[in-house]
Amino acid sequence: MNVLVINSGSSSLKYQLYDMKIESVLAKGRVERIGMETSILSHEAEGKPETREVSEILDHTTAIKKVLDMLTHREFGVLRTIEEVDAVGHRIVHGGESFRESVLVTEDVKLEIRRLFDLAPLHNPAHMMGITAVERNLPEVPQAVVFDTAFHQTMPPVSFMYAIPMVFYKKHKVRRYGFHGTSVDYVSRCASDFLGRPLSELKLVVCHIGNGASCTAVLHGKSHDTSMGMTPLEGLMMGTRSGDLDPAIVTFAINKEDLTLNEVNSMLNKHSGLLAVSGVSGDVREVVEAMNNGSENAKLAFEMYANRIRKYIGAYAASMNGIDALVFTAGVGENSALLRSEVCKGLTFLGLALDDKRNEERSDQARSISTADSRVDVLVVPTNEELLIARDTYRLVRETPHT
Amino acid sequence: MFRKIGVVGAGTMGRSIAEMLAEKGLDVFLLEQTPQQLEQAMSLLEASLDRQMERWAITAAEKKLILNRIHKLNAVQELVNCDLVIETVTEDLDRKKEIFQELDQVLPPDAVIASNTSTLSLTELAGVTEHPERVIGMHFVYPAFRIDVVEIIRGLQTSDDTFVRTKSFTEEVLAKKGVMVYESPGFVTTRLICLLINEALHLLEEGVASPEDIDNAMRIGYQFEHGPLEMADRFGLDSILAALDRMFREFGELKYRPSFVLKKKVRAGQLGVKTGIGFFQYDKDGDRIT
Repeated sequence: MNVLVINSGSSSLKYQLYDMKIESVLAKGRVERIGMETSILSHEAEGKPETREVSEILDHTTAIKKVLDMLTHREFGVLRTIEEVDAVGHRIVHGGESFRESVLVTEDVKLEIRRLFDLAPLHNPAHMMGITAVERNLPEVPQAVVFDTAFHQTMPPVSFMYAIPMVFYKKHKVRRYGFHGTSVDYVSRCASDFLGRPLSELKLVVCHIGNGASCTAVLHGKSHDTSMGMTPLEGLMMGTRSGDLDPAIVTFAINKEDLTLNEVNSMLNKHSGLLAVSGVSGDVREVVEAMNNGSENAKLAFEMYANRIRKYIGAYAASMNGIDALVFTAGVGENSALLRSEVCKGLTFLGLALDDKRNEERSDQARSISTADSRVDVLVVPTNEELLIARDTYRLVRETPHT
Repeated sequence: MFRKIGVVGAGTMGRSIAEMLAEKGLDVFLLEQTPQQLEQAMSLLEASLDRQMERWAITAAEKKLILNRIHKLNAVQELVNCDLVIETVTEDLDRKKEIFQELDQVLPPDAVIASNTSTLSLTELAGVTEHPERVIGMHFVYPAFRIDVVEIIRGLQTSDDTFVRTKSFTEEVLAKKGVMVYESPGFVTTRLICLLINEALHLLEEGVASPEDIDNAMRIGYQFEHGPLEMADRFGLDSILAALDRMFREFGELKYRPSFVLKKKVRAGQLGVKTGIGFFQYDKDGDRIT
């Protein structure tokens, strides 16, 4: 069975085509600048040259059509006809409280995703355009939706409630939802496989450190607490996001600088984090480079960044009353040995000991980077959200009897 | 839905509208009379984006993208591919008529021609075109990227189709409230705000309160962002005078007669923020000097 995985943004769309028999990627690519005359489709198929096509793609329906054309292209394609696409899986950022797991797309599901537009005004409408676009091009093909928030729906109220008047929760569903759930779910399972211990007896802290960053306490295979909140702004310090701060700063800044809601939102989401403190960049690699070249601000930014992660690991170890393994994943988590060692430096009180040599080794496999006698395993596990979306889609479609 | 928008005139309002449209991701085609004026307008527009950046509203990458979406034109003919053209030149009826005539000839019949006029007659502007049904008013409030309301003005011959397309574009793409008004000098916003400002000037003339106190009373008392005098400074005292004069002429009612202090200020060239002095003083960034 071939499953097409779609991550649809407002003006871009990423895709991967999986052959689920052997879980291999047949082709992948992206469409950028949707809505313009010069949209770009870049496509890469296994064993074939990479190709780029510039054309006018004014909407998502055309974008999906172009992708299907490319997948069945005589030279660059991997399918003979579009009938060989058996199912489509979509990444959806926000599932609110309605979705605790992945589901097949139905009219009710679409209605519910629309109801959630308020909670994810930037993401859910764009995902919906992707779903509609697939419907128009492949009306007979079943679609599934996989939510970033679903994995965290197991959190107890103790973790997800905010200490503000209840009316905000009851009326507007203000609560912690958490994000990166698909990645944390996938990585936890890999960690359990790697350690050869069932998830049901493990206490994990998963650090998904990429462009956005979050920590999750995974207790016995379920999300117990996570650092991102109602929106992805809370928690860790990120490339350009502030993460945790005294909420009074927001009203103070609005008042002192005469800011509009849009300006204060943009300030916290796009002008803060590593970028604000280092004054150099929101990219960890560039901050590290500046730090090595003697920039004091870059050094401060990097140390703040690591310290915030360390604090969350400590907090979650306390919250779960223990920690069996610490797992690093995503772009920075998988690639920055320096960050991992900086974070682990202050965690020796847990009995955690990093093996510096193993930490430095590069690999695209799940691996342990702690010493043999460390009381806490430290792992690096490459994430693969697309594969999990493909797996969920495959499972849902197979479970559903065809009429 | 409109995707390519022409903006004729790159004065304060034209620049502000162009900036807002490009920020919303639309392709903007900006037209001025001479290349020099256009270059000057672009550098002012860039300065405005820099100020937005300083206020954390946009990032450096976003600024670049916005500027890339603004295309500079030198002739009306180059607007031929636009779906919507917004005219923003000075409030001079004859000048506007000329432009409407030219636009009407250049643009395909289904393109919409809008004017940002605040006091002139849409019906009269439409009268010089062969397709008056596609002429409409879109009155933005300065600064267009911060103020989310547009008065959509129906002239006598404006078609339902033109109105519906303009309103859904305003609300869905620009995410601004579209208020429908029928043609009448000053519409809703200009008529009410000019009267408020004029009355504030009468208070000043009568010595009832100082400029600071008039502004503080209204700013704090009724949650205005700026008091009426600072508001006048920001709009430009010459624009306020012109609008009042026109409404006075059209309605013939004394309440629209511009106050003498307003006329005196305009004669003295103290036009508000743009000259650094009006009822208050301002630095080059338009911030009030206290």
